[in-house]
Amino acid sequence: MKKIVLVGKPNSGKSLLFNQLTGLRQKVANYPGVTVELKSGRFEQFELIDYPGAYSLSSLSRDEEIAVSKLNDALQDPATALVICNLDATRLESSLMFGLQVQALARRQQKAVVFALNMADELQRFGHQLDTVALSAALGSPVFAISAKTLLGIHEFRQGVLALASAAEPAVPSADHGDEQALRDLSRSLSRQYGIQASLVLKNQNRIDAFMLNNLSGGLAFLAVMFLLFQSIFTLAAPLMDAVEAGIGALAQFVTGFIGAGTTTDFLNDAIFGGVGSFLVFVPQIMMLTLIIGLLEDSGYLARAALICHRPLSFFGLSGRSFIPYLSGHACAIPAIMAARTIESPRKRLITMMTIPLMACSARLPVYALLISVLIPERAYLGGLVNLQGVAFFGLYMMGIVIALLVSLMLSRFVISRDEKSDMPFILELPNYRLPHWKPLIVRVISAAKSFVYRSGPVIFAVTVLIWLFGYFPHDAGGLEHSYLGQIGHFIEPVFAPLGLDWRYGVAILMSFLAREVFVGALGTLFGIDGADENIAGLAANIQADGLALGAGVGLLLFYVVALQCVATVATIRAETGSNRIAVGLVVGYGLLAYALAYLAANLL
Amino acid sequence: MTAHTTAIQTPVRHTLWDAPKKASVLVVELLAGLNPLVVNRLREMGLEPGQQLLSLGRGPFNGPLVVQIQDCVYTLERQVAQHILIQPQL
Ligand SMILES: Nc1nc2c(ncn2[C@@H]2O[C@H](COP(=O)(O)OP(=O)(O)OP(=O)(O)O)[C@@H](O)[C@H]2O)c(=O)[nH]1
Ligand SMILES: [Mg+2]
Repeated sequence: MKKIVLVGKPNSGKSLLFNQLTGLRQKVANYPGVTVELKSGRFEQFELIDYPGAYSLSSLSRDEEIAVSKLNDALQDPATALVICNLDATRLESSLMFGLQVQALARRQQKAVVFALNMADELQRFGHQLDTVALSAALGSPVFAISAKTLLGIHEFRQGVLALASAAEPAVPSADHGDEQALRDLSRSLSRQYGIQASLVLKNQNRIDAFMLNNLSGGLAFLAVMFLLFQSIFTLAAPLMDAVEAGIGALAQFVTGFIGAGTTTDFLNDAIFGGVGSFLVFVPQIMMLTLIIGLLEDSGYLARAALICHRPLSFFGLSGRSFIPYLSGHACAIPAIMAARTIESPRKRLITMMTIPLMACSARLPVYALLISVLIPERAYLGGLVNLQGVAFFGLYMMGIVIALLVSLMLSRFVISRDEKSDMPFILELPNYRLPHWKPLIVRVISAAKSFVYRSGPVIFAVTVLIWLFGYFPHDAGGLEHSYLGQIGHFIEPVFAPLGLDWRYGVAILMSFLAREVFVGALGTLFGIDGADENIAGLAANIQADGLALGAGVGLLLFYVVALQCVATVATIRAETGSNRIAVGLVVGYGLLAYALAYLAANLL
Repeated sequence: MTAHTTAIQTPVRHTLWDAPKKASVLVVELLAGLNPLVVNRLREMGLEPGQQLLSLGRGPFNGPLVVQIQDCVYTLERQVAQHILIQPQL
């Protein structure tokens, strides 16, 4: 298949354009360095390839390095039919330079080039008319003004790209603009002539930044945003969670009432509604988390947050650029570890990757939520503004972050050596503030919920069924304690006894090494078999009735804060660092630390 | 005591780090000492002698500097900003 490559500066709207042309859903967000690997999709009869953004052909960070080296490969490749150079039309001066460099390179390899001047909707808002005909004559390659957001000019662009890519003779750039210095002069003069005034575009941005980056108001705004983020995951999702729980309860009542008592009903109640159901309750939280992180990503604030965090993070051996991977690690560690590619200093990148697994990812959410509702009474203060359980949630998130910072500090002081590239400085572009792009955001929230269910659902289902079978039979032996599972459980109990936990928790913990959220499903099933009154989905109440000591409960929470129980994360770390030792070392190290903390809590509290 | 006011003019070297907030300044020189890759990047960002910059002040807690170069706003950490020699624009 013939290929079309899509390159340009970071945050210039390449991925949104890619999504519009291919119908796929690559991640789009308002900060530089979102795409960190090549992504391809089908655009009519062509393969369209979305690249990581790059400022220049001489790369600083890993994602740029990938963009530049793969661009060189693509230019050598006879299958490459067209290079789309995507520029931010509102910032011609700073983006034309890279465009011209790419154009010169393509010309040397006799490849066709087309310029897409994206974000034309914003130009329109300022009432600026872009003379694409004159610009295209000056550049020696076709130019289209488009908006990947409002689809302005996209139809013509599609036609143009298809025609250029299928032409028998490639539309090689007609003009040679000379050496680097000549390119720089040209980009300057063209942007003066055709571009919009910088002061106009940056006026709002600079005004908001005067507040957001001010010493006092900026610091307070940062703290407020972070607190709201973590608090609202809990509080805003709570009513929805209650609704799901009630729904599952009602469904269980209805179905089991229909079937009547017996083994089938026991199975449905314990394994399906108690096990799988108790995990579905957390879907609203996953959606809320995705929504809020998505809002932040769209707003443009994250680059500011990175700036604000740079100095404090530097103290711990990290960079301001570690902030965004850390934050997205709260949804899932895997993309976060990939996102660390944008950190220029390899050393800081490594430390960031090694500590991301401590961020409270969404798989921990169900575990936290369950144990919090067991251990912490539901109480609200300040007229419902502050909720005690919400505060506990916030505390757990903070604990993950604090431990990550301490581990980073240790790694940077004692473990990971410095090299000449280790002091690559912090330089970050601050993007324009933007309102959320609602449609993709909603789609993203829904697909987060779906993938949570599809990814964990089958595992949880299998585990709960297995646990139920082994825990229910032999049925006449006298309950769970004497079941097959009980016998196995008693065998492993000594490992967990020092943590103040009985074998049921032990089984759930072991099972959660498949996926953390399995913990909830497994416990749900175990307590379902045990529960006399078949109180479905009220797992927290069941555990409370059964009695979980505060120390052991807190220990259990600490265990989940620290332990690295995710096969996919370990695999990603291995792939990104190329080191088995690091991957295995992290599992063992965090495992031991988790156990030690749980032990201390169980015995001191 | 006689006041010896023979002014030995040691030129004060202003770097971008010390530029006042909202000040428009001109780049005079990039000082040696930065990684060549970084110097190259700074040049491509437009940080060349003669380029006009708008300093937007430092981030909270004496954090990195925020500066407008051409049509982009960047944040530069102290170590970089101190290698950029400037003069106030008249
Ligand atoms: N107003 C407007 N915003 C746009 C347009 N295209 C993209 N954006 C926004 O610009 C931001 C960056 O878009 P992306 O598609 O992630 O940019 P990218 O070039 O892929 O960025 P990297 O992957 O970091 O290199 C997002 O907030 C988009 O919503 C557009 O045509 N108009
Ligand atoms: Mg992208």
